[in-house]
Formats: sequence, C-alpha cells, structure tokens
Amino acid sequence: MVKFLKPNKAVIVLNGRYAGRKAVIVQVLEGGNRDRPYGHCLVAGLAKYPKKVIRKDSAKKTAKKSRVKAFLKVVNFTHLMPTRYTLDVDLKDVVTADALSTRDKKVAACKETKKRLEERFKTGKNRWFFTKLRF
Amino acid sequence: MAPVKKTKKSTESINNRLALVMKSGKYTLGYKTVLKTLRNSKSKLVIISNNCPPLRKSEIEYYAMLAKIGVHHFNGNNVDLGTACGKYFRVCCLSIIDPGDSDIIKSLPGDQ
Repeated sequence: MVKFLKPNKAVIVLNGRYAGRKAVIVQVLEGGNRDRPYGHCLVAGLAKYPKKVIRKDSAKKTAKKSRVKAFLKVVNFTHLMPTRYTLDVDLKDVVTADALSTRDKKVAACKETKKRLEERFKTGKNRWFFTKLRF
Repeated sequence: MAPVKKTKKSTESINNRLALVMKSGKYTLGYKTVLKTLRNSKSKLVIISNNCPPLRKSEIEYYAMLAKIGVHHFNGNNVDLGTACGKYFRVCCLSIIDPGDSDIIKSLPGDQ
C-alpha cells in the first residue's frame, strides 16, 4: 500500500532501445496526460556505463574510463522494472517535459545529466547503479 | 495426520473467504492487472497459484515487497484458483482491491 514509483527511484528499463539499462525516475505523471493516456514517467539513465577502473590506470585513463553517456526518456510504467535502490541526484531542474520537446534542448539536458551522473560516479556512491546489469 | 487435516481446513476457509470477496468486494484477475494494481498501490492482497512460473512469481513478490502488500501462495494450481473464484477459466494470480465483507485481509497475511 506504499507507492514506490516516486522520483529518485532506480529502475531498469525493459523495452526499447535502452532495454536492460538502469535509470532513475525524475518525474512521475501518474494519471497520464492527453497524449499519453497511461501512467508514465520521465527517466534519466545510462546509455553507456562507465568502464571498470583499476589501480594501474593513469589519471588520463581513469578520466576516460569514468565517462558516462546519459539518456532521457518518457517511459510507460509497464516498461520499467522498479528496484529497491534509490539515487538522489538532483535532476528536477534539468529534466523537464519541456526539455524533451526539441532536439537541441534534449541534447543540452542530456549533457547536463551526464555531468551530474559522472560526478556522482566519481564519489564512489551508488555503486550498484553504475554497474552494468548482466543478462 | 493432524497437520494435514489442519491445512485442509484452512484451504476451505480461504476458499470461503475468496468466494465472499468475489461476491461483495473488488478484485482483478490476471498478471497484467495485478502488476497494475501493485504499481498504483490499490491492491490490498495478492494471491498466487502454486504453478505460477517462478520468474513471474518472484516478480510479483518483489513488487509486493516494494509496495508492502501481502502475498498469499494459494494451495492449488491455477485451475483450482479459478474454481475458487467461481470462474470457468484458469487464474494464475489475482489481486484484491477491496475485500467487501470478507476478513481475508485480516486473517491471511500472517503467512507469506
């Protein structure tokens, strides 16, 4: 009886080009709207996970391996698998329905989320989120 | 002998309670709607048959764990569960939204 599809919930995308990728819910539209008459949400996820960094790597190599590619998507709830993990990265101001309207706004928003996700990865927290799901 | 008898009696009472829910309460049958009710937390109890595929069973249990909703593993397969619901088709999982006059919610989730 607890709603669990809330902002900051880590989910796994199940369908589409990003199937199998981990993402975080940014905004929930429970009842849907006119164009999408079903429950859906805005997610920001990892299109390309950061690679495994080892101690032997030089600083330049570590920087290159820690890069991340982000994606933003509007996803139906049925195409998500919720998990028990959360990721509190503040993406509310960056990822908005407006940001997904035109291509260049989307690219700019993606760049900003990429930056925030990379800083979060570098702190070493939320390690589960940044590891690739093996299947 | 005695334990066997006890489980037989409690399945009887589960069936009775289910019948009362079918008559007086709100419910949905089937995997897709069960997940839907779990997602929007309208469900109060989820009942799964014993021959439900293990991946589907784990998925429903995981959703129910996130939503803090009780899951009951029905002592019978999907044919039996369908019969218990008074339907002429198989029911693999069902979700009780409003128990009506039944006390199924209070009496059952002591068990997993």
